[in-house]
Amino acid sequence: MKRTVRDILITAGILITAFLISIAFQNVFRVDEHISTLFAFAVFLISMLTQGYVYGIVSAFIGTLAINYAFTFPYFAFNFTIPVNLISALVMVTIALLTGALTTKVKYQEAIKAESEKERMRANLLRAVSHDIRTPLTTIYGSAATLLESKDDLSETQKETILKGIKEDSDWLVRMVENLLSVTRIDSGKVKIIKTPTVAEELIDSVLVKFKKRYPDQNVLVTLPEELLIVPMDALLIEQVLVNLLENAVMHADGFDRLSLCVSHRDEYAVFEVQDNGCGIPAEKLPKLFETYFEPDNNVADGKKRNAGIGLAVCAAIIRAHDGEICAENSSEGGAVFRFMLHTSGEQP
Amino acid sequence: MSNKYKVLLVEDEQNIRTLVSTMLDTNGYQAIVAETCSAAKLMYDSYMPDLVILDLGLPDADGIQIIHHIRKDALTPIIVLSARTGEQDKVRALDLGANDYVTKPFGSAELLARVRAALRSNRHSSDEGRFPGGCFVLGKLVINYDARRVFLNDDEIKLTQTEYNILAFLSEHQGKMMTYSTIIKTIWGDTADDGSIKKLQVNMDNIRKKFGVKPGDATYIKNELGVGYRMDL
Repeated sequence: MKRTVRDILITAGILITAFLISIAFQNVFRVDEHISTLFAFAVFLISMLTQGYVYGIVSAFIGTLAINYAFTFPYFAFNFTIPVNLISALVMVTIALLTGALTTKVKYQEAIKAESEKERMRANLLRAVSHDIRTPLTTIYGSAATLLESKDDLSETQKETILKGIKEDSDWLVRMVENLLSVTRIDSGKVKIIKTPTVAEELIDSVLVKFKKRYPDQNVLVTLPEELLIVPMDALLIEQVLVNLLENAVMHADGFDRLSLCVSHRDEYAVFEVQDNGCGIPAEKLPKLFETYFEPDNNVADGKKRNAGIGLAVCAAIIRAHDGEICAENSSEGGAVFRFMLHTSGEQP
Repeated sequence: MSNKYKVLLVEDEQNIRTLVSTMLDTNGYQAIVAETCSAAKLMYDSYMPDLVILDLGLPDADGIQIIHHIRKDALTPIIVLSARTGEQDKVRALDLGANDYVTKPFGSAELLARVRAALRSNRHSSDEGRFPGGCFVLGKLVINYDARRVFLNDDEIKLTQTEYNILAFLSEHQGKMMTYSTIIKTIWGDTADDGSIKKLQVNMDNIRKKFGVKPGDATYIKNELGVGYRMDL
């Protein structure tokens, strides 16, 4: 609807401009010859800037009539016996058709390109994920096989070490799968995420319960606004974002001893901040922090850090799907701050 | 042997079935297993288990049917095993009378805690219930139903009428996950729309403030995002 109005306005604007310039030409310079060229140009512009063929063809006819009526002898009267006028009409319609066909084709190709870009990203993600999943699977498979085949030869301590390895790697797989599920939740179809009013305190409660199950000894300093803060969101997805950000701090903020989670209410936004006082983020990583996982060739050798990329990439995708904003920076007191903002009003913006 | 709790486990995945029945067996429960919806109904009718653990995705029919079958004439606790993404299924199962759910993947500690809570809640509601002079005690929380008074760590907590009603309702169903719509229907007689959910959220917020709970270690009232609340230790 908006698009149609816009196209009509463009068409009308260009035609009126062409008409006024032609009148100026005729009255000031006393020349008629360039007027059909001018209208042909106008038709070309209209075909290029509007959607489909209709506007171009309509303006070609209007242009022909305008030239016939106003700018060819007899002035300000119709006369359809002049062959020159018929030729210019033909030229303009042809221009409209050709330009329309060309621009439609270009637009189509752009859409294909965007789609293949998305496809490429998905393929990269899939490749990276499959690679990452294989490592813990190897451990789990090997460990289980070892336990089955030679349980009599293993000491109790050895068995316990192997079992702990299995549990650790399964935990990692669970987190990976949760992240992947979140991505498919956003990507599946063209359906927008469904936001429900969620109480910030309940969200944080749920996040901390989950987080403490994985890191029972890690203390988190929580700051919440005094008043009841209700934010429309897909609570499970935002929960995932916060858990990812907290885990990210535990895994990557070397040397930190303080981890805080702060929720505040600023104007129309709920602001969530996860801050640590660890080593901070290397400056060269900052600009692409949220997209590294989608880049090929980021073979991270350090096994401990492999979950990093997808976690942050998923965070960014989720916040984007909420029409929110996410950013990361180094705090002046040292350590990293991850911040995201969500609208506090409106079910769907 | 005979005084063990009988638990009916309905699950079509061989490995999960073995795992859960081993968990149950080693923790002093008698596990009965069924792989399909029809087998489950048959087993339920012939064994009359004390508790049912139910996976909703079964090969022959929707597991919801089993909830219907049981809830026709019994209050046997039902714990649903569910995948993470299906909140709608969770809410539907809970509204139809399931007591609780456990999200896959789960650890033995988590599942067994839910089993104990569900068995306890069933005993509680049939034994003590709302008898005159009945007192509800959970850890340091005491609710005196007759006097409509609530004590936490021996201090009285002043609640409004509505806040008290919500708390008493949750306590009567201790260990059971109560969905938003169930609570709203009971307390206000309304249907759950955005307005009434907000009313509930505001009241829960006040209760939390009066209890002085910190997020992350909320004892007594557990909140499950998008689903509901449960009273539990």
